[in-house]
Amino acid sequence: MTMPLLQVENLGIHFGPTVDPVKAVDGISFSMQAGETLAVVGESGSGKSVTALALTRLLASPPARYVSGSIAFEGRDVLQLREGELRSLRGKQIAYIFQEPGSSLNPVFTIGYQIREAIELHRPEVRDVTAEIVHALDTVGIRNPASRLGDYPHQLSGGMQQRVMIAMALACQPKLLVADEPTTALDVTIQKQIMDLLKDLKRTSNMSILLITHNFGLVAGFADRVVVMFRGKIVETGPTAQVLQNPQHPYTKALIECVPKLGQKQHRLKVIDYAGIQ
Amino acid sequence: MNSISLSQETYTQRLWRHFHADKFALNGLRIVILLFIVAALAPFLANSHALIRVADGHVSFPIFLSLEPIEWRFLLYVPLAGLVYFFRHRFIAHPGIFILAVIGFIAAVEIFLALTHPINDPTNDRDRPASFKLLPPIPYSPIESTPDQFSPPTWKHLCGTDSTGRDIAARMLHGARTSLSIGFVAQSIALTIGIALGGLAGYYRSWLDIGICRFIEVMDCFPPLLFILVAISLFESQNNMFYIMAVIGLTSWTGVARLVRGEFLRLSSLPFTLAAKAIGANDFRIIVRHLLPNALGPILVAGTFGVASAILIESSLSFLGFGMQAPTPSWGDILSDARRYIDFAWWLAFFPGLAILITIMSYNFVGEGLRDAVDPRLKMK
Repeated sequence: MTMPLLQVENLGIHFGPTVDPVKAVDGISFSMQAGETLAVVGESGSGKSVTALALTRLLASPPARYVSGSIAFEGRDVLQLREGELRSLRGKQIAYIFQEPGSSLNPVFTIGYQIREAIELHRPEVRDVTAEIVHALDTVGIRNPASRLGDYPHQLSGGMQQRVMIAMALACQPKLLVADEPTTALDVTIQKQIMDLLKDLKRTSNMSILLITHNFGLVAGFADRVVVMFRGKIVETGPTAQVLQNPQHPYTKALIECVPKLGQKQHRLKVIDYAGIQ
Repeated sequence: MNSISLSQETYTQRLWRHFHADKFALNGLRIVILLFIVAALAPFLANSHALIRVADGHVSFPIFLSLEPIEWRFLLYVPLAGLVYFFRHRFIAHPGIFILAVIGFIAAVEIFLALTHPINDPTNDRDRPASFKLLPPIPYSPIESTPDQFSPPTWKHLCGTDSTGRDIAARMLHGARTSLSIGFVAQSIALTIGIALGGLAGYYRSWLDIGICRFIEVMDCFPPLLFILVAISLFESQNNMFYIMAVIGLTSWTGVARLVRGEFLRLSSLPFTLAAKAIGANDFRIIVRHLLPNALGPILVAGTFGVASAILIESSLSFLGFGMQAPTPSWGDILSDARRYIDFAWWLAFFPGLAILITIMSYNFVGEGLRDAVDPRLKMK
């Protein structure tokens, strides 16, 4: 078997005091193959976003403390890299899209300028940068991209802003795209469009995608495998279909059940009963 | 084309629209610009040398003989800056050629000045006979003593003369250069230091922030004027214009530093900073290209008010006798002269006082207009 693209071993990240710390990530291990799509599912505070940011050490330390384990990206341990090496990893190898596209774009610059910055940082060999920007915007389904380069973020809708974020991430041609709750701030129809776009990108490129979400509804039909996180630990992992159809851990069952289904009459929405999960 | 977008105007356009609607701010800006033009052209408006002189069928421009090297620089470099700005798009396209051209021009001017420095001709040619002479509107040099001492404002001396017969109008015009350039340069120094230290403190936080904040507090403990007086008396032999600019700049950056620190604290916790980091930008790029442009509005406002206060500080210093060296005219210096003769020579206090009042008020109107324009809560219109 070939070397996995990403191999996280026994990763532990603590916050707060050294005595009795907040164990945001508490000894988790998982791996991803090149081209694979992995979903990390869990509630707020389960440690999934911390894990995502830790992949390129974006969490400032302090306050975060990387207390144990390793993050091997293509065999190199991210936790041992120097700052300069980290910068060439960020964007170029591992790119991010975040939850709030509106505030993740710099409000005072045009979208063309911001995508240009990403390309100039990581692909100095590109000669016609403008053509590359137009191509990136076209890939993410922005109509008439050439006329959009001079637009400011506030002139775009939320869905368009997230497309621009994705275009910016793609412009660097990363091997791994980390989508940290990419649709949480968007309404349901836009959510579907963005997920469809990510699906398309997954099919047309050999890029791996790590999807961070609290919504099991997004996972089905998108991810190859699922990792379920609860209180900083991985409680269940497996192929998507298997986890969805036959969840083993009570927390996974509860998470799946609390996704509301349309057309189904329910007296009350199911909530997670923490007392039953230990 | 797109029905979703609300407005297609840029931030600068919106800023200008709000600024433009504020009549006080707009007129303040007009007065400030007028003052700068007057200050720039001072040697041509008030000079004892004729603009054009025709004698024995020979045409000459004696005014150029009276220019100091610094005035030559001013006259040549300001149009250069204008040209660079006008051709900025081509500048970006061919930076190498343009930088070479600019450096070449500066080198040529400096060599010319170095070779021709003794050209400065102090002789007064106003009264020399000539078949034709075009004199400046105020035909007196600011350092020239005329026989009329304590002349009240007349058609000959529009703002009167002082104890040694120097023309107040000429001194005011030349003093405008001192006051405006000190305000501008001193505040630029203050902004540079304030942005650098405030930016570092706000971006890196932790011990650097603590250190810089304590330093700011120590600086703020000294009454500014007292601090400047001590600094000047320590280096009394060097009190030329640049020294006073530096002293005012080095003591008035704390307000800007606090402001920039606050803005950077706020901006660096916004998601776009994390996004910039996630795309692989280094700290310098994040600070200069992502955070600073976002903080520019408030900095501009503070800078405008700062220029006004720097002009006021310079006037106070000159008034106390710690400002410019004797022959260099400045508004505070004329006021300081007025102290002894105020019982009969009202014009000595009135005109420079009025000039300071108008300048400070104009700057403050501009500052207030800018503040209102960048304030997002007032953008309802």
